[in-house]
Amino acid sequence: MISVQNVRKSFSQGQEQSRVLNGVDLNIMKGEFVAVMGPSGSGKSTLLQLIGGLDVPDDGTIEIDKENIEAMKERERTIFRRENVGFVFQNYQLLQNLSVEENIAFPIHAGGKMSADAKERINDLVAAVGLSGLEKKRVNLLSGGQQQRVAIARALVNKPEVLLADEPTGNLDRAKAEEILALIVSFHQKYNQTIVMVTHDIFAAGFADRIVLFKDGRIDRMISRKDDDYAEYLANFLA
Amino acid sequence: MLNIWLISWRNITRRKKRFFFTLAAMVMGVAVMAAMLVADKTTEDVFSYYEQMYVADADYWILSDNHTFPEENIEELGVHPEVSETLLVLDKQAFFELEEDRPQNERSVRITGVSDFSSPLIKLPVTEGSLEDEGLILPKPVARLLGKEIGDSVRFEGMGELEVSAIVEYVQILASPADWEGAQSAGFRVMIPLNILQEWTGMNEEISYMRIQTEGDGEGLFRTLQEEFQGSSEFIQPVVADDRQSNDIGGLYTFFYLIAGLAILISGFIVFNMIYTSVIERKKEFAIMKSLGYLQSSISRLVLTEVLVLASVSVVIGVPFGVWLGDLFMVALLSVFAFDMVYSLNWVTPAIVSAVAGFVFPVLFSLVPIYSAGKTSILLTLKGEKGANSNKRTLRFAAGIVLLAFVFVDHPISYVGILAGIILLFPFFLTVTSKVIRPALSYVFGYGGSLAVQNLHYQLGRNANTSAILAVGVAVILLLGAVVESAPDGYEKEIRSTYGGDIRISSESPWTAEDISHLESYEEVKEVHELAEATPITWRTVSGEYRQFSVLSINSGGPSLYDHPDITLNGQLAGQPSILLGNRAYEEWGGEIGEKMIINTPEGEQELEVSGNVSTSHYSGYVAFMEQGQMQEAFGWGESFDLLLSLGEDSHSFFTRVWEDFGHKLSGAETVEDEIHSTTSAISEMYSLIYVLMILMIGLASIGTANTMLMNTVERTSEISTMRAVGFTVTQVKQMTLAEGLLIGITGVFGGVITGVLLIFTASRSALMEGFLAFQIPVSYVLIAVITGLVFSLLASWSAGSHASNIKLQSSLKEG
Repeated sequence: MISVQNVRKSFSQGQEQSRVLNGVDLNIMKGEFVAVMGPSGSGKSTLLQLIGGLDVPDDGTIEIDKENIEAMKERERTIFRRENVGFVFQNYQLLQNLSVEENIAFPIHAGGKMSADAKERINDLVAAVGLSGLEKKRVNLLSGGQQQRVAIARALVNKPEVLLADEPTGNLDRAKAEEILALIVSFHQKYNQTIVMVTHDIFAAGFADRIVLFKDGRIDRMISRKDDDYAEYLANFLA
Repeated sequence: MLNIWLISWRNITRRKKRFFFTLAAMVMGVAVMAAMLVADKTTEDVFSYYEQMYVADADYWILSDNHTFPEENIEELGVHPEVSETLLVLDKQAFFELEEDRPQNERSVRITGVSDFSSPLIKLPVTEGSLEDEGLILPKPVARLLGKEIGDSVRFEGMGELEVSAIVEYVQILASPADWEGAQSAGFRVMIPLNILQEWTGMNEEISYMRIQTEGDGEGLFRTLQEEFQGSSEFIQPVVADDRQSNDIGGLYTFFYLIAGLAILISGFIVFNMIYTSVIERKKEFAIMKSLGYLQSSISRLVLTEVLVLASVSVVIGVPFGVWLGDLFMVALLSVFAFDMVYSLNWVTPAIVSAVAGFVFPVLFSLVPIYSAGKTSILLTLKGEKGANSNKRTLRFAAGIVLLAFVFVDHPISYVGILAGIILLFPFFLTVTSKVIRPALSYVFGYGGSLAVQNLHYQLGRNANTSAILAVGVAVILLLGAVVESAPDGYEKEIRSTYGGDIRISSESPWTAEDISHLESYEEVKEVHELAEATPITWRTVSGEYRQFSVLSINSGGPSLYDHPDITLNGQLAGQPSILLGNRAYEEWGGEIGEKMIINTPEGEQELEVSGNVSTSHYSGYVAFMEQGQMQEAFGWGESFDLLLSLGEDSHSFFTRVWEDFGHKLSGAETVEDEIHSTTSAISEMYSLIYVLMILMIGLASIGTANTMLMNTVERTSEISTMRAVGFTVTQVKQMTLAEGLLIGITGVFGGVITGVLLIFTASRSALMEGFLAFQIPVSYVLIAVITGLVFSLLASWSAGSHASNIKLQSSLKEG
């Protein structure tokens, strides 16, 4: 489903070049839920953004469903993202002057006209994320947890194959974080999307099928729920 | 050690494009102000210079209502102990004898014979030749037109020939047309030695007037001579520098100040928007500074320093640019006048004033954000909460409606009130406009169009202010456009109704009854009326200042020279000797109707009752009228040198005949059409200058739009990145920004057109305008305003759109 081959990426900071990804290889199966962990600056968020086509790698290839992301033109990449990828950000990234409903509908509007099906889907999603009755409310009037629910609904409105979540619970307290994770998991079970979630939280990572650990721009280790030492690993991490 | 100036510089240049646009607006504001002040002061200097050149060092002059008088009548003045200098002058009508065939009226020339070219009582700015060689003195345009140089001979029909000894710059005494077209209605003027002119004309020992310079103020001599001359044809007048009869440029000064004020107002508004946004953006920074111990005053001082740094840069660039612009403007402005005037730029005071304004206005406009920066709440800001939202919008709406009531108040301040009301009402206007055109925007720009409407409402106040300032620019320009467009019609209407006939012919000797009968015998002549013009007549304003004008005779059977249905010769003017004043003379005098004006008449100083003020085209209203009989008896002016004629349909042969029959004494023949043409052509030529200023003003307002659009974009970097992240293409982002700019532009331009029409309506009903401005929509100005405003707004939003499309998604999403 997602294929990342020998991806390198550097950023310039002043006159210095800082290499963030240093030859990353990663294959993610369709319907797999992968959590990416690692210390700050290890390159995990950059990898997520490259998979989502928000930026292009300096070197290497990234494919989603055999579509080469970095080879696409800017416009093609945007349309591909709109139709195939959903994004959930740590700070929600909602459009503050739009209502709950308008935020969720944004990717549909961006792609063209609103169909009856799309309207129904939006209503279903509003209900599914537990925001019924708040459709017309401006998002800046919602709590953090409610805003993240809007962000999840928006990410799913176009029924994407891939959901990319960058620290989706990073700004929430434990109770709210659990609610959001439960929501992501329930959607995953229902729609079988491929999920890549960047997180610092081992508790959140525990919901994933596989955990990928990053260090200094490379994958340091990968551990799957199927691995024998998975439970031990989590326990050690939590300890 | 923290250097507050350096920190301020870093702060204001942090956003490069915003800094550039704000600075550009401030530079333009200061520059336009400086340019207008330079134009005002230089124009004032030019006219004052030429007045002084005309007056020279003379204190009094002795004239006659008979055109000429014998030198012997005043010869004792030449040796009078109170008189230090004298100059004798004789004016004589003549014609150039040219090699090329030209009609007589085009060859008409007034020769002024002067007893001493080097006298301090006459000033001649020589460009070529010398005044020592006593020959013919030609003004530069005449020399150019005749193709004559120093040493060349010029012949005068039936008189003689003289070599050109000097060529001089424009002076009032030798004011001449600069081309043959102008020569059709105005004669040339040249100067020669008095003795030669007297010899040529056989008018030995005859002069037209004598200029004298006295020891001390000469008041005693003046009073004595006034008494002595009573009952004779000679009279004495003080020499007064007052050219208001030939220059009506008061309105032009008002125009300069209006443009200057508008420029500084618009740029001030742009500064307000920029500083306000900057303060809002940096609230967190201020909160941190306060938490570290900065006082409210320290924060305010920091923002004030930023404004001062911006102002300093704008003044350093704007003032020299403005002086240069003022110079260009003067070249264009003086080319409007028929005469070849020279000027030296008066830039020092304008530079100082505009520099001061360049500091004061930005600071004034930034006071609210400066205060707001200091008042930043540490807790609310760091928590990310907003302060309580007061009911500002309702208050703004109510204040706007109240101020609009100025439409019904006939006072100059009403225009400021109306504009302020419109600015306050603009958020509502923007809301209504956006609702109306939202479907069209959605149709053209897709979802970006709908989003644009929502985005504009998110920063309604700022966007409405930007739109409003564009509207103010458009509205004021439309008002000026309406005034300028209706001016020729207004003047034409006034000239036709008060000229007194179809043609005015002037002679250098009084018209006789025989002359009049002869003229009446012409087939094309329907009516002939005598017109006596006593000039120059000096008088005192209520504050005691000396002025001079002409007094025109009126009689019950004659044509109407003014427009005032309530004043009749049998009524107000029939009793005691009294005068009617033209409106401009009445304003300058400063008294009330029924009060007495002190006038130096040929019969001595008199106090004449002012029986009314009237609208007239003669000398732009800087004139007085008196009943003919009273003018002869009480005033002491008996002769008429002018005739007003009404002609029939076929009047082509009239000019040829009148020059043939009266060429020996005719000094001018001007038709009502000539008068209309010369008055309105100058105004028409002003059109191009006004178009340029108009585009400049709208350009300045559009810089405000560009700046606001850019601020909107920069402020929404994270939002725009989010839009892109969830599926908006670069083109869609551009369309959205373009739609925002278009909405601001459309609202500004159409709001401006509506406001302009409102101002024109108010002005057309104003008694102050004396019905001069008819209610009309200046279509060409509306078109230019609409096109320029929309194009500039689109360019502004295109620039912001380009910025938006270049946003780096990764980093801006992190910031968000």
